[in-house]
Formats: sequence, C-alpha cells, structure tokens
Amino acid sequence: MLFPTVEYAVFFLVVLAVAWALESRPHWHKLFLLGASYLFYGFWSWRYVPLLFFLSLFAALIAQRIQHSEDEPQRKRLLILGVTVCLAVLVYYKYASFVLLTALGLWGLVGRTPVWDLPTPFLPLGISFFVFHAISLMGDIYRRKLREPLYLTDALLYVAFFPQLIAGPILRASHFIPQLLKPGYKRIADAQHIRVNRAFLLILAGLFKKVILSNTLSTRLVEPVFASPGDFHRGDVLLAIYGYAAQIYCDFSGYTDIAIGCAMLLGYHFPRNFNAPYTATDPQDFWQRWHISLSSWLRDYLYIPLGGSRVGTARLYANLMITMLLGGLWHGASWTFVVWGGLQGVYLIVHRLWANSKSEEVQQLRAKRWWPWVARVLMFHAVCVGWVFFRSPTFSVAAEVFRRLGSGGAVTLASMPVVVTLVPGLFGQYAPKMWRRGVEATMSRMPIAVNGAVLAFGVFLIEVLGPTGVAPFIYFQF
Amino acid sequence: MGVSLGVFVVLMLLLESGGLYDWAQRLNIGPERSVALPVCTLLHRALSPLRIERERERALVSLARIGWSDDPVALEAANPVVPLPPVATPPAAAMDTVIESAKARAEVVPHAVASRAKLPALPLLQPPVRNVLPPIPAIDAGETRTIALAGDSMMAVGLSPAMLRQGPRYKDLAFLNLFKSGTGLARPDVFNWQLEYPAMLKEAHPDFIVVAMGANDGQGFVEDGVVYPFGSAGWQRIYQQRVDAYLRMIEAHGATVVWLGLPPMKDDELDARMEWINRIDYSVVSASPHAIWFSTAAVVGDGSGHFRDFGEVRGRTERLRQSDGIHLSDDGAALIVEKLLPWLAAQSAASSSTPSVEVSAK
Repeated sequence: MLFPTVEYAVFFLVVLAVAWALESRPHWHKLFLLGASYLFYGFWSWRYVPLLFFLSLFAALIAQRIQHSEDEPQRKRLLILGVTVCLAVLVYYKYASFVLLTALGLWGLVGRTPVWDLPTPFLPLGISFFVFHAISLMGDIYRRKLREPLYLTDALLYVAFFPQLIAGPILRASHFIPQLLKPGYKRIADAQHIRVNRAFLLILAGLFKKVILSNTLSTRLVEPVFASPGDFHRGDVLLAIYGYAAQIYCDFSGYTDIAIGCAMLLGYHFPRNFNAPYTATDPQDFWQRWHISLSSWLRDYLYIPLGGSRVGTARLYANLMITMLLGGLWHGASWTFVVWGGLQGVYLIVHRLWANSKSEEVQQLRAKRWWPWVARVLMFHAVCVGWVFFRSPTFSVAAEVFRRLGSGGAVTLASMPVVVTLVPGLFGQYAPKMWRRGVEATMSRMPIAVNGAVLAFGVFLIEVLGPTGVAPFIYFQF
Repeated sequence: MGVSLGVFVVLMLLLESGGLYDWAQRLNIGPERSVALPVCTLLHRALSPLRIERERERALVSLARIGWSDDPVALEAANPVVPLPPVATPPAAAMDTVIESAKARAEVVPHAVASRAKLPALPLLQPPVRNVLPPIPAIDAGETRTIALAGDSMMAVGLSPAMLRQGPRYKDLAFLNLFKSGTGLARPDVFNWQLEYPAMLKEAHPDFIVVAMGANDGQGFVEDGVVYPFGSAGWQRIYQQRVDAYLRMIEAHGATVVWLGLPPMKDDELDARMEWINRIDYSVVSASPHAIWFSTAAVVGDGSGHFRDFGEVRGRTERLRQSDGIHLSDDGAALIVEKLLPWLAAQSAASSSTPSVEVSAK
C-alpha cells in the first residue's frame, strides 16, 4: 500500500478512528495497531508476513531473555545469537545472489566458472528496515537503554508499526516503546494535545514532494538520461544529475514526512529524518542531516562498537570506511552501492584531514566569510558524484554519464515542468525555518475545521497537478 | 482532531467523487471492487450536479495547454495537432461528467474492435521456445530505420534502457518510446491503448515496432456490466479481440511488429497466467503476416521454457531477472537486445534482405 493512494487514505482513516476509539483499552489498542500493520504489509503480498512476525517474535523473546538476565556473559551471548540470526536472515534474502555472483566473479579471475542457476528467494519488502528494528530492540535492551519491562505486543508493534515499516525512519526501541500504552504509563500525547496542524502540514509537504516534485523529475528528466546517457549532452546530463539529487531527497524525505505526520495523528512521535541536507558544508554535517535515523543507527551500532573516534588515526579512518562501505551495501546488493558508500567514507576521511590541518593558509581560508558558501557548493557536488553511482544500474552506465559531461550539444530536457520542480526540489531546503513555523502558527490560530479544509484542498491540488500514475518510493527497494 | 478530519473527509468526497469513481473502476475484480464501486458510483451520481468534476477536467486541459500534463490524451485534447481517430473523446465531451465520459470510453473499446467482433476465437497455440527470426528487408545506405519500443513495464524496465544503450552502436537505427508502465490490454478502463497510442505516436511512422506487454493482464475485467474472471472462455475471447485490435492499430501504418513473448515468471501462479497470455498473444501474432513472434523464453528461460534467475552473459554467470522475478535485469535484457538489434540493423550491402537468425537459450 503506497502512501499517496486512495487505498492508504481509506486504510489510515479507518485505523485512526478505531485506534482512538480504543484509546481507553491499551491492550486492544496495541493489538489493533499490530493487526493493521500486518494488513498494511500483507497488502503487497502475504508471502512474507510470517517472516515479519516470526523475526520480530524471535527478537522480542531474545530481548526479554536479555532483560531478565543479570549474567553479563549470558546477556552478551544472547545478543550475539539474536544479531547473528537477524543478519543471517537479511543476508539470505538480500545478499545471497550478490555474494554468490561475487564469488563466481573472483573464481573467474583464475579459471572458467561454471554457469549456475542459483536458487534465490523473493526480496521481502522493507527487510532492511525491519531487521534493523529487530537489532535495535535487542541492542537497546542489552545496553539497558530500555529499562521498562518489555511486553511481547509492544516489541512486535515496535518492529511492525506501519508508518515506518517499509522505509523508515529507523526508530530506536528506547524511543518508541515507552510511548506505547501500558498500564501505569501515561501517553506522551493524547487526542487533545496532538499538533494536528503540524501533522497536516507534514502530510501535505510529503505528498507535494513525492507526487509533484519527485515524480515529475523522475519521469521527465532522470529516467530518460540514466536509461540512455549516450543520447544526451552535457547540459541534459548535468540537469539529470541535479534532478536526481532533488528527486531522491524529495522522494525519501517526502515519505518520512508522511510517515511522521501519520504517526503524529495516531499519537506517536517519530524522530526527524532530514534537516536540509544540501545546505551541509562538509561530509560530517551532511550525514547529520541526511537519513539521520540510519546514520545515527550506524554510528551507535557499528561505528562506536568498532572503536569510534577514541582510537588511533589509522584505526579511526578504517572505522569510518568500514561504516560507510557497509552503509552503502545496506542500500542494495550491488557494487555500485558499495562504491557510493566508499566515496562517502573517502569524503569523511578527507574532511577529517582538512579539519585537523594546522596549515595557516587553510585556517585563513576557513575564516573567510564566503567560505561556507563555497563549501556548500563543493559538498553538494561531491554528493552528486555519489548519486551517479547510486542511480546507475551498472558501472558502465555511471562511466557513460560522466563521459557525457564532456560532450557539447543542446539542452533538450529543460522543459517548464522540469525547471519549475527542480528549483524548489533543490533550493527549497534554503527556505527559512520561520516560514514553516509561520504557516503552522497561522493554521493554529484558525478555527480547527479550517485545518481540515486546508488539507483537503491541498490534497486535491496535488492530485490535479501530479503526473499520472504513482511511482513507488525509491527507498522501498532497500 | 475529529472536527478537522471530519471536514477533510467531507471536502475530499466533494472534490474527488469523480476521482474515487475512477479509482473504484480501476480496481482488480474482487471483493474490494465489489464494495467500492457501488459506493463510489452512488456518491458520484449524487454529487455530479455540483459540476466539480467538470471544473477539474477543465483544469487538467488548461494544465496540458501550458505544457504541464504528461498525459498524451490530455495533451491531444489541449493541442489537437493530429485529428484523433473517431473513437477519441473530443475536448468538449471530455469536460462532461466522469460517468458520461466513462460510458463513452466503454463504448470506445467494443467500437474499436467492432470490425473484428465477429471473428471466431483463434485456437490457442503453444508459442515455440526456440524461434527463428525471418529475413527482413535490409536498410539501404543512407537510410534510417525507426524502431518504436511499445508496451508496459516489461518494455520500460530492462529492455528499453538496454535497447537505447546499445542503439548507438547501430548508426542506422533510431528509436521511439511508445511504452507506459502500469498498463496492458486487459483493462482499457484504466489505460486505453486505442486512445493513448495514436496520441503518443503523433505523426511518427516507425518501420518496426517491438512490443513487450501483458505482465499486468493476468486479471479479470468487466465488459458491458458482465464480470469475466481471468481465464474464462469469455475473458479469453475478449482479450484475444483486444490483442488483435492493438496489433492491427500498430500495424496500420505499415510497420512490422516484433512481439516479444512474456518471459517465464518466478512465481508459479503468475507464470501460469502469463502462459495463458502468451498463448493468446501468439495465436493472434502468428495469424498476422506483418507480425513476428520472438520468444524471450528462448533467451532468458532455462531451455525448456521455465524460469531461471541466472544465466551466462559474456562468459560469466549473471542475474537475468530483477529481484521481483518478473522484469528483466539489464543483463537479461542485453541478451535479448544483442539478438534483436544486429538483425534489425543489417545493411543492404551484401544482400537485399537480412539472413534469418536462430535464437535459443544458451
């Protein structure tokens, strides 16, 4: 079930009504949300609902065992068992063919490889996200970040909660589970204290970014160029790279805006996942603004356990590189994603070297008033180089895209819809935050019914202005 | 919150009653549609006197006029350069209510196939797994052969990018995109190729049309108020007529059609359905003197027509299919394109027609 569809609108309105009707019965409220989440997941295919259920049940039982044990070695063994099983599931479903093809490729370096038809399973939707949730559940209990007793229903709902199930944001168990209704616990939000105007604005902004900006850029600019870069010249190729930078931001941040808004209406708080990433002045700044829930997950569950920055310089750089390479691989079972992750690692290492430089010239340069703007432009283009590998299905396509940047010729794709969507897609992030707050404040001063009218007219306009058909969100494939 | 959501729901029903009616019509045959369609029809009929839908249609045409819309039919309605075929809805009619317009569209499909309606159903033939590409006229020196790429996501994913990427190696070939994802021939109420194809084609005259279509067609449909479950005798007869009408439409300007059979699917149930589609398509295609059947199963199948995920590409084991088990991967598509393009691009220097090419799985 995609967010910008009638099916989801009907589903969500029914779930919202019933969930609030059950507010005074916490157990039934949670069971209902859990059932709705499985229905949401099963809407694509019921084939993998059992996988989702049994994986989250396994993680919940391990987490409970960890919580009840005071024996540190046993706690650690349980955690290792749980994480190993979860990663094995992820590797089997997502990386089996990648690993086997890579092995055959290496074999091919020393001799002729056999041609095998390798049996591989279907890729369950959103597996990268729900496996990370399962690991976070066990990790947070192990680190005693979640001290409240863990109930089975809470744990299952945390992994499967539908607004974040398919494409995040990646929640922390220690952040989400305390929000669940439990006897003796007070809800963080109740129906009277929900910022309806903010939730409505998030949903509208998400729909606008996805349906109008992302879909238009995808169909009219990015897809034609990346399908056949050889047919286009410098101007179109450069536009398509910028277009993809805007598309992927609008697509993914649009999804999380809708997810956050829907969760807010249900009374739950999700963390922010994007914070104007293309305004970043350096790679570290970028990763504190882009897919924040993933970068902080990788930091807490991979980078820090590897030793983080409290190690020698060489080890620190190795830790950064390992984290970003695995982060790249998390996005997809392909070497293009690994190279994308490796590039991010190189950027972070180069930035560390630059930031620690004692050179007087470097320090003077950094002190210039105009330097942050130069840094922003450089950072944005470094990110764009990475997006070429991220978007290209093969290295030869990526190479062709870069090659065509050197070819002269007319710009053919800069149509009115492309320009009108590209400009806000990229520069909208520079809009002052007070604008959004101003709109929110204005809406909060209006009669409450007007908020509903604003949402309705907004959705109607987006539906009229949007391209025909609904493309899936890019991050669904991860 | 309840008040704002209530206002939202009421206003959405008012503004989008036409859109909801369209949505309900497009649902697959099943319980969801059985519930949604009567409710949405009732709602739309009750609200149509408000004429909101007419304003919405007018807005869409205005958007198409300024170059915003990507819908070929809306573009045609806004800028009628080429007269639409008689079955097309003129702009004035397009502003009528959706029910009327839907009626008009419902009439379009039977009308479009009316000339074939009396044809008896062709016997269903088993498509060959091994096939031979027949000789075709060679390209004269200095001439360009235009290849149109038509179909649904089976063409959009894998095949068309591979064609366009390998195309520049053959300087006498030019390509034209006439495909759209999420379409097919089973549901003209969702996307009507009889209307959309002429609008997409405009004034172009392709020499060859490569078609890859049908992966979305393994579903039932409603025709004249009668529900036809997938695979029933009625379904087969009507679907066959639609394939025939589509083939005749794209052949109309003298183009030769190369119809790519659907490859075997990973999911057994979907595979069985696609086998049905292939049999119907092959029965129609093999009856036309201007159409050539190309079995993709011969290239990306396991040799006996069954699904395989991996195969040999340039001496290495590579994935031939996308992870959905439906669409072709870049490598799988490249295998097919490597058979097709040299055949389509053969020059006239040595002979007046290209030699036949035998294609089979490795």
